[in-house]
Amino acid sequence: MDTLDGTIWDVLIVGTGIQQSLLALALSRSGKKILHIDPNDYYGGAEAAFSLQEAEEWANKVDAGSSSAAYANISISKPEKAGSDASAPSLSFSRAYSLALSPQLIYARSSLIQYLVSSNVYRQLEFLAVGSWWVYSGEPDLASNVIAGEPSEGVGQSRHGRLLKVPNGREDVFQDQVLDFKAKRALMKFLRFIVEYEEQQEVWEEHRQQPFPTFLSEQFKVPVALHAPLLALTLSADSSNNTTTEFALPRIARHLRSVGVFGAGFGSVIPKFGGTSEITQAACRASAVGGGVYALGTGLSSLTNDEPSGAERNSETVGSGGVRVRLKDDETVSTQWVIGEESEPTTPKTTYCRSITIVSSPLTPLFPPIAEEAPDPACAVIAFPSGGLSLDEGIPDQPELPPVHIFVHSSDTGECPAGQSVLYVSTSLSGEKGFQLLGKAVETLLRTVDISPPPTVLWSAQYEQRYSAANSSLPPSSSEHVLKFPPSSVDLAFDDSILDQVKSVWQKIMGDDAGEFLVFKDREANVDAEE
Amino acid sequence: MADSGAQAQPKPSSSVKLVLLGEAAVGKSSLVMRFVNNDFQENKEPTIGAAFLTQKCNLPTRTIKFEIWDTAGQERFASLAPMYYRNAQAALVVYDITKPSSLTKAQHWVAELQRQASPGIVIALVGNKLDLASSNPNSGSSDGDDADAAPAAEGEEEGEEGEGDARRVPTKTAKAYADEEGLLFFETSAKTGLNVAEVFTAIANAIPETSLKGPRGVGGQTSLGRQEDARVNLVGGRTEGAKEGCAC
Ligand SMILES: Nc1nc2c(ncn2[C@@H]2O[C@H](COP(=O)(O)OP(=O)(O)OP(=O)(O)O)[C@@H](O)[C@H]2O)c(=O)[nH]1
Ligand SMILES: [Mg+2]
Repeated sequence: MDTLDGTIWDVLIVGTGIQQSLLALALSRSGKKILHIDPNDYYGGAEAAFSLQEAEEWANKVDAGSSSAAYANISISKPEKAGSDASAPSLSFSRAYSLALSPQLIYARSSLIQYLVSSNVYRQLEFLAVGSWWVYSGEPDLASNVIAGEPSEGVGQSRHGRLLKVPNGREDVFQDQVLDFKAKRALMKFLRFIVEYEEQQEVWEEHRQQPFPTFLSEQFKVPVALHAPLLALTLSADSSNNTTTEFALPRIARHLRSVGVFGAGFGSVIPKFGGTSEITQAACRASAVGGGVYALGTGLSSLTNDEPSGAERNSETVGSGGVRVRLKDDETVSTQWVIGEESEPTTPKTTYCRSITIVSSPLTPLFPPIAEEAPDPACAVIAFPSGGLSLDEGIPDQPELPPVHIFVHSSDTGECPAGQSVLYVSTSLSGEKGFQLLGKAVETLLRTVDISPPPTVLWSAQYEQRYSAANSSLPPSSSEHVLKFPPSSVDLAFDDSILDQVKSVWQKIMGDDAGEFLVFKDREANVDAEE
Repeated sequence: MADSGAQAQPKPSSSVKLVLLGEAAVGKSSLVMRFVNNDFQENKEPTIGAAFLTQKCNLPTRTIKFEIWDTAGQERFASLAPMYYRNAQAALVVYDITKPSSLTKAQHWVAELQRQASPGIVIALVGNKLDLASSNPNSGSSDGDDADAAPAAEGEEEGEEGEGDARRVPTKTAKAYADEEGLLFFETSAKTGLNVAEVFTAIANAIPETSLKGPRGVGGQTSLGRQEDARVNLVGGRTEGAKEGCAC
């Protein structure tokens, strides 16, 4: 059996999360000798995707405190089947599922898409369309509803409240039957502004820090009933009063600018088979084709460099500029560069509550066709607006709870068998209250989608996700050759700043022969040409 | 255009992700090279990491485009395998008929695939280097173009044998195991080309149509099929409609 002990590398990458994997991809044609390790025995770090059994193993490990610091307080539940009815819907086998820990939408205008194409990695991936966006309204009265349009635009008009479809751009707003003229005009005016908000600083500059709803009311006279759908498009995890104008504008603009790029009526996509995890693996595969060596279940225990100021853990030193690394199993390797994750976030620590719920129904009403020429939707977004749900009904003057977002993935994603769907739920409310809020959102959604037989929950996992490094974080080091990414993002949409980070690390490693970032010829060019 | 050479062709075409696994030096890369380029190298260097190649396979009613991931057999690359068999529709698990330990390793791979890979995966067990077995006449190869398809052992092989039969894994042992596990089974020679195309054709034929066409096939199974109705085309700025099988 080969060993890593004593080997010499150009670059050691610790962790297989999205940033490290994209870096490995970026370096895959550089000719550098790359060792890519992960302390976990799975790929993807905080972005991993699991079968049921793997999810359970993960939960046990995190419980035992031996796994990633990004997740905590995991519990998995499998509701007992009611009675012994054999025809009752049931879970399929473990590997029929591929559940994403941290699912994200990728906007069509995201630079990630551009780089996946320029690096040719997109050929190893499949992307599916995100279809309808819905906002939950606890208001059961149809007449008071300003955004629903015809009744067919809403799902589940029970007395429990309903889901209202977010208009998909200006045409939708135009055709809306219910919006009154004034509301339409205000909304249109805002939508015209948002597409070129960068050029109209005078309109919003002074209001950067203002809560976005206030900005909508004061600057554009947008009626309050339209605030929730606009806030939904920001995917803001904060309550509406903590969502600032400067946060909201670029995000709404990103949404609207992405619609139509890959087809009529949708603006974002998700990778098939478990989200971002699939991208990390495709990137690592490409890196391996370039000669990268991979070792799972291999962490790093200490770093030493030859600079006297270094945080030396032992007396070993290596030649100039190099870093000597001790791995968890006491092997030692030398490398020019070490790249891992920051152990503490630079911004204040945030904790989200998340859950993954497998449901016994395809929840078809949430997936109306997107548009004539568009692909079938595989994901629906449901926003429970800030304050839209409450936990302590009857107790007055409760603070407004933050919004809850649910991504519903259909079986087209390959994440669950046909006839079922997966709900990925998240909120910025943490702790026990956060979990209660998630539960409430799931329950409300399932009750509101009017479908028979009524959907039941087959399996559910809940956990806290912290904005902090997975266990691929590096010990402190003063070496210029030890570089750290900030911890993985908890954003619900892929955060393009990740690519800036990856690019800057890549540039440092490559120096003057950097070339173009993530632009590769197809390795297959010759083979294809022969055919 | 993307990965759909299909459009111009009359027959429906689907991509199949295939992964090769097996001990170092059993001839995985050589099998792929024979299949893709109809070529053979006497001293092929070990694969580092992995290699990716594609090749089409024409069946009477459809064209299968294999996306082949050839993994490195050396132990230090063992961590790679899960990335490659994840979502693969087919696996070729290779051993060397002159090396019993390589069959043991192949059996480990089969077990791991059965435990970890996609439930519907088609697995073929392949005993390679058939040219080194004396009982094999080394003829009948339809596409072997090498003049040096000499029978019996070449001196440089790992078997210590100078002359005669270097076979150490009886066909019936491996065949019995393959039958028990429900695997396709072939003995091949990447060197002469014997049976190589047959392995890939058999795999192509064994991939269920449902897993190529969409998810609403077998109950409870996560489909690995390319789902043309849902797939978003990232290049060309429009979506790929239901082109597959469409007669327009
Ligand atoms: N006689 C004979 N030799 C073969 C055959 N196939 C491969 N070889 C030789 O066996 C050696 C190893 O072949 P490779 O194709 O590199 O083996 P591999 O399984 O890809 O090895 P790794 O990449 O290290 O996992 C080479 O020297 C080949 O020429 C065969 O069918 N017959
Ligand atoms: Mg090889």
